[in-house]
Amino acid sequence: MRLPTLRSTPKPAGAHNPDFLSSVRGLGPGSVSSVLKIALDVAYVLLALITGVLVLLLIAAVFIPLDNVNVTVSGDSGGRQLPLTRMLLLFGLGAVTAYFGGFMLILRSLRRIFRTLTIGDPFHPQNVRRLRQIGLILAVVTGGVWAAQSFVAARLAPGVMEPQGIGELLTPIFSVLIVFVLAEVFREGARLRRESELTI
Amino acid sequence: MAIRVQLDRVLVERRMSLTELADRVGVTVANLSILKTGKARAVRFSTLDALCRELECQPGDLLVHEPGPAEAFDDDAE
Repeated sequence: MRLPTLRSTPKPAGAHNPDFLSSVRGLGPGSVSSVLKIALDVAYVLLALITGVLVLLLIAAVFIPLDNVNVTVSGDSGGRQLPLTRMLLLFGLGAVTAYFGGFMLILRSLRRIFRTLTIGDPFHPQNVRRLRQIGLILAVVTGGVWAAQSFVAARLAPGVMEPQGIGELLTPIFSVLIVFVLAEVFREGARLRRESELTI
Repeated sequence: MAIRVQLDRVLVERRMSLTELADRVGVTVANLSILKTGKARAVRFSTLDALCRELECQPGDLLVHEPGPAEAFDDDAE
């Protein structure tokens, strides 16, 4: 009796093959994965464009003259005018650039993880690192948003903006935790994958 | 690992090449050489069965236990 099942299955065609998407189960047109792939691609391109424009604006902000330009901070309870200093402009633009840049990096990792899925090897050890990276970036970005909002509420627009509480940090912490738990799950998956690779 | 695979010795005794054995057993040469060089973590009974049948030997002819320092079971080391 021959044991054809023992023969290790040939590695699925890599990303170099243009038809690789159609060859993988569950990735046909109209499937959840193909919709996800399109969404990831579109979001990544958009974020890359936005980040690029913001970086250019940030560079331009160093040079443009800012005489007699004011920003109005207004809320329900009234508003007040602030002179637009270069520091303020750079802080604002820098914060927004970092925000979009962070999400662009997250999407870049997500797309790479997704690519390993399409070639049929989602538990690649690299994915553990990518997921941890995503968790870290998410923590930095969401923590940064919280810190920036606290700063604006306390210094730039006191009385206009509600001060940030610890409660607003709960959702970011929760999402970061989910990503790190997933990374641990993938670590175990990668270990099992290695184990099965070395089972003859 | 305290378990050593003596595939090369048995192959020499049977005057069989690794490629020929791979062909007969239905395992790729790459996987068989992982087994031969002792990098394998586990052997399926079905593989062992096919190896013993083709080499006309017992599992004990292929595997030897050499007592040594205990090794962590779930080490991630390469």
